Amino acid sequence: MGGLASLGINLPTLIAQLINVAVLFGLLYLVAYKPIMRMLDERSRKIKESMDNTEHIKQQAERAEDEASKRIEAAAKEGQEAIARAVRTGEEVRQGAQQQAKSEAEALITRARSEIQRERDEAIDQLRQGFADITIEAAGKVIDRTLDKKTHRDIIDKVLKESTTLKKG
Amino acid sequence: MPEKKGCLGCSFPLVIGLVVVFLVLFILSFVAGPLGEGLLSVFGISLDFPSWLTVDRPDPHLPAETVFHLFGFPITNSVLGAWITIIFLVGVSYIVTRRMKLVPGRLQAAFEFLIGWVYDLCTSVAGEKNGRRFFPVVATIFLFVGFNAWLALLPGFGSITIHTAEGEAHLLRAANTDINMPLALALTSFVFVEFYGLRSLGFRYLGKFFNFGEFIKGVKLLFQGKVKDSIFGIFTGAITIFTGLLEGLSEFIRIISLTFRLFGNMTAGEILLLVVAFLIPWLFAIPFYGLELLIGFIQAIIFAGLTLIFLTVAIEAHGEETH
Repeated sequence: MGGLASLGINLPTLIAQLINVAVLFGLLYLVAYKPIMRMLDERSRKIKESMDNTEHIKQQAERAEDEASKRIEAAAKEGQEAIARAVRTGEEVRQGAQQQAKSEAEALITRARSEIQRERDEAIDQLRQGFADITIEAAGKVIDRTLDKKTHRDIIDKVLKESTTLKKG
Repeated sequence: MPEKKGCLGCSFPLVIGLVVVFLVLFILSFVAGPLGEGLLSVFGISLDFPSWLTVDRPDPHLPAETVFHLFGFPITNSVLGAWITIIFLVGVSYIVTRRMKLVPGRLQAAFEFLIGWVYDLCTSVAGEKNGRRFFPVVATIFLFVGFNAWLALLPGFGSITIHTAEGEAHLLRAANTDINMPLALALTSFVFVEFYGLRSLGFRYLGKFFNFGEFIKGVKLLFQGKVKDSIFGIFTGAITIFTGLLEGLSEFIRIISLTFRLFGNMTAGEILLLVVAFLIPWLFAIPFYGLELLIGFIQAIIFAGLTLIFLTVAIEAHGEETH
């Protein structure tokens, strides 16, 4: 035992150092390992959660982007359709207005023509009337006798009628 | 921006001034030391330096000196050194972990890095589950051995002397340089290795050391009259018993090897520093302090790492053998 003693091994100091190691182990377990491991685990959990959340948000963003592009596409399509429809309606309205204007114009022209025709006929009638009177008078002067005005007129009217019918026809 | 001229971030005059001061101190310390004194005496020069300029001849004692008694229990200077290490480690741990934050500050990050590094070492050797179980033991050994070695390099250790009942004694001494502390650590390591071995494998763990199965089988064959087979069985059984006993012996030899490796390295380091400081006082010891910092770290890693390997082998190797 002399050899060991010369190295410095002695039981009381060995026991004291064993107690020191045990105390250090216990204290470090309480104030260092336990809280630090808890914190490291907590941090790992948070990081994992954050990464999962990021992935989730990324997927959501991708879905939202897809949805938005789909909506934009649909809206563009709808807009194109609306424009085409509006153009078509405009064209229809324009054509309708044109048609209406045309038919109104035609009706106006027709009315004007019939009016003109009527006035012409009236003028012709008046002229014929005047012409018959002048003719009778002229004929009376030529033959120097008064024709039976009534008979004469009938003859002239008949002739004129025939000629008018011919002209009108 | 004009480039600043200088060396190591200092202006040239400052660097030159520092080098001159360094050289003067070095020459002075060399001349004041016994090495320089011997060299000068060859030329017949003898200088008388004041006592504060010289370092006393080192007188290392392997046994630790008793500083005082507590309830009749002798408290040695190495026990005081161990207490200082314990107070330092527990104090720093308490300060760091008192208000832990998820986003750590500098001190917390540094401490977490150290602890996390030891934890990663444990899990990389013993696996996730066992590494976590072994981590407190391995980390305690690593932190104690490392910080005890480093704290012992501070002024005060080995330099403050007090008068005791047994005479003059150093107040503080690195616990690792007193064989009782390496032995206590080795015994702790041994106890945990056997505890985890028994806990993991139950009584099968002891089968590694006391393997009589083959031998008994050989004896049975002898009684059955199968002489040839029984001789072979008894022979292999005897070898198995012998290797088992060797295995058991190696468990105890580990205690001795762990103890003397740490004790030898730390004591040699301390003596080296004392001798260097004696031969050439002052500045010459600085590189050796750096060396001791490295050795303290290496010894901490070796002690903790070997304990980790013994723990891993205790719960795995025997399990593989029984398959």
